Amino acid sequence: MSAAGATIELALDRRRRNAFIRLVRRPPAALAAGVVLVLVVGAAAAPLVAPYKPNAINFTHLFAPPSATHLFGTDELGRDLLTRVMYGGRTSLEIAAAATLISMIAGTLWGFVAAFRKGWVGETLMRIADAAMGMPVILLGLVLVAAFGASTTSLIVILGCLFAPATARLARSSLLSELQSDYYLAAVSVGASARRIVLGELLPNTLPVLLARATLVAADAIFVEASLSFVGLGVQPPGTSWGTLLQAGYTNLYRSYWYPIFPGLVILVAVLALNILGDNLQRVLDPARA
Amino acid sequence: MLRYLVKRLVTSVFLLVLSSILIFLLLRVIPGDPTITKLGGSIKNVNPRAIEAIRHQLGLDRSLPSQYVHWVGGVLHGNFGRSYFSQFPVTTLVSERIGATLELTILAMLIGLLISVPGAAIGAIWRNRWFDAFLSGFTAIGVATPAFVTGIILIVIFGLKLKLLPTQGYVSFANHPFVSLKTALLPAITLGIAVAAPILRILRASITDVETAPFIRTAEGKGLFRRQVVVRHVLPNAAIPALTTVGVIVGSLLGGAVVVEYVFARPGLGTLMVDSVFQRDYGVLQTLVLLAAAAFIFTSLVVDLLYGVVDPRLRTVRGDE
Amino acid sequence: MNAQRAASSSSAVLEVRDLAVEFPGHGAAFRPVRGVSLSLERGQRLGLVGESGSGKSLTALALMRLLPRQARIAQGSVMLDDRDLVALSEREMTRMRGGRIAMVYQDPMSSLNPVQTIGHQIAEAIRAHERVGRNEARGRTIELLRDVGVTHAERRFDSYPHEFSGGMRQRAMIAMAVCGNPDVLIADEPTTALDMTTQARIIDLLDSLVAERGMAVLLITHDLGVAGSFCDAIQVMYAGRIVEAGEALDVFGHPVHPYTEGLVASICELDRDVDKPIVTIAGQPPLPQRLPHGCPFHPRCPAAESVCSESEPALLQLRGGRRAACHFADARLDRTA
Repeated sequence: MSAAGATIELALDRRRRNAFIRLVRRPPAALAAGVVLVLVVGAAAAPLVAPYKPNAINFTHLFAPPSATHLFGTDELGRDLLTRVMYGGRTSLEIAAAATLISMIAGTLWGFVAAFRKGWVGETLMRIADAAMGMPVILLGLVLVAAFGASTTSLIVILGCLFAPATARLARSSLLSELQSDYYLAAVSVGASARRIVLGELLPNTLPVLLARATLVAADAIFVEASLSFVGLGVQPPGTSWGTLLQAGYTNLYRSYWYPIFPGLVILVAVLALNILGDNLQRVLDPARA
Repeated sequence: MLRYLVKRLVTSVFLLVLSSILIFLLLRVIPGDPTITKLGGSIKNVNPRAIEAIRHQLGLDRSLPSQYVHWVGGVLHGNFGRSYFSQFPVTTLVSERIGATLELTILAMLIGLLISVPGAAIGAIWRNRWFDAFLSGFTAIGVATPAFVTGIILIVIFGLKLKLLPTQGYVSFANHPFVSLKTALLPAITLGIAVAAPILRILRASITDVETAPFIRTAEGKGLFRRQVVVRHVLPNAAIPALTTVGVIVGSLLGGAVVVEYVFARPGLGTLMVDSVFQRDYGVLQTLVLLAAAAFIFTSLVVDLLYGVVDPRLRTVRGDE
Repeated sequence: MNAQRAASSSSAVLEVRDLAVEFPGHGAAFRPVRGVSLSLERGQRLGLVGESGSGKSLTALALMRLLPRQARIAQGSVMLDDRDLVALSEREMTRMRGGRIAMVYQDPMSSLNPVQTIGHQIAEAIRAHERVGRNEARGRTIELLRDVGVTHAERRFDSYPHEFSGGMRQRAMIAMAVCGNPDVLIADEPTTALDMTTQARIIDLLDSLVAERGMAVLLITHDLGVAGSFCDAIQVMYAGRIVEAGEALDVFGHPVHPYTEGLVASICELDRDVDKPIVTIAGQPPLPQRLPHGCPFHPRCPAAESVCSESEPALLQLRGGRRAACHFADARLDRTA
């Protein structure tokens, strides 16, 4: 690599590292990142840190309100809700993470192809994205559930598909703006191969935008998974996610109104934290667009 | 303007056709046969003849293009097909349920606007740091809170604790207007908050933009009071960019209604849709989703036309993009 | 009210003393306007000239109390007759704006609300100060539009700003400013955004309107030609301060301050020998955040000596009612006279 190229790389690298520091310096962003971390660790390390066994039934403690022994109370079988929320987080976050990955990969490919193929191929691809985005997310989700069925795997695919069109549109527009830039023209003019340009230049430069987008997709994925699970069309029993816990709490609302509150709040906090994180990422990594 | 209108109309129709193909394909190409659920869910001891008969009756034995043409042709003639499950015409099912959904969505939209517009206006007039922080908090939490969480909290507070409002069901407005509104209040507030948060967010952002415009200084320089400057000059200009968001929200109200109706056990289109997914009732589902897509595309068309009304610059400049 | 105005007609209608505008910042506060004083008599026309960034416009906005939100009036008083505008409550100040003191802004394109009709916006200004009905306000607006030379005023009432040309918009802005018969009219670069022929017409219009209504005018401009033809008195601003003041003919005919001299020399006269190079002042005006030590003009001044980088000269009273802020003002006045 030429010396000039190396300097540019260094500068970009520094820019990215600075971005991380600037992100952490924003108090709401740091707080949100902390919350996300706690949720992820709580879910991942549930077997180690959860106060009870997830299926430890206790018939003497049905529908207990929050207390020192059961911080979130207990459910209809006397199981500890904090424990179940932590285990439910495994499913919810797993689905959200996998769906985000799918939507980012599929959407980026979709958008890049649409950006490179100017003719009818690109046009059709974007029109399909428009048509898919012309339906409320929940409704399209319901159609997809009807089609694919509701298992954890199919939920991942469904959510991935749901958010791919919007990602595609973003990937296309940010790539198009990169294609206008000087460094792209420079790379083309020195005869770099197409693959090199895409992998070495264009992808890294659109990455900040996509990363911020991924955070917001993850928030939406949690939101929609919980919605689908709540109406009984998401995670199926005996699987447990935040949405199914909320659903169970809702059906037992008249026996214990505490039951649904904590699963609901956890969903709210997770979505809120990811949204704040995404917004701040956008501002730090891509100030022009924010 | 006319040319633009025609162009806009053609794109809308094209988008609608594309959506209908998308919906249709999603519900056919992928495995899972609606006849099975209809025959009781298990395929083992079902007479293959019976399956054949039902498939024939539902038109599922025909080729895909022929099925599509049959469906869309019917829709164009006002025949929305029949439920695969109950055999009722979809039109009947929809007309039974649409009242509950319309009441909910209209009320929710009203509540949403009643929260967001005065909220943004008061924020702009008052310019109080704490009130602004409150509005920011409201939008951030409002955007992140799933409607069912809000709904459950409202049920706990107003239904279980205070016992002020009914939490379940639907009463026809035509029969008992007062009871009907009372029953719809909690669901409408729930959906209204979900509607208000994004509108408030975009409205505040565009108010911040407009505030720095020189014509705001002109208005202040005339000797108008802050309230008059905001109401007459800031808000009308800030509303223009917010209109698109409002359009998207109106178009997606049916999506929000799904969850809210479920929480409050309202027999509306949302619950009908959930039921039809459970029963794999593609006949109902495809029509409902098509209706939703049509509503979405129609509102964005209306919003585009509204731009011409609220923004005089577009009236004379011929809005060719 | 009228009697009171008549009684004080001999003294200044607007008296600004030691005005400073500050942008507070965390340890980096700066003052783009520092100790500006000026006085306007009834019917007088004062020109405030200087390069862009000299603080002219901020001075004008400070008089209207329409400074950007980050900025504030740090010191000084603005006496309009016997009331200090700086000390008024926001509510009282609102009544003053448009009624006693009004302003015409720089850019008529963006200074009008794009979604309201021109007529509506002028009528609104009338109704802000007088209890008149919709119809009467409409009638008065149409009359005003005619006065400022808008043809087909009746029909133009319902036009939107984008349907007006730049000159027409500025006429509408002027109509809006004079509708309340203010005592003081501030015109901030009223012709800058317009083409040459329109500029002359707008100045003529201002000229006749002001004469008719006996308003005092503060004209803010960087265009010495406009200032010279319109104003009785001139104050030159540099780096947030007044550096020279006097009768228009004196200031432009025999500038004392080297900055004024440079400004006058840089006027490009069309009838001048084309071979002669166009004179400009070297360098850039300083940023208010980073003023040089001593006289702020000394880095660009052709006559600067060592004292100029050491202390900032005060605005000194000279012969013939003139003032200048230069260490060598007396000597320079003798030389030019």
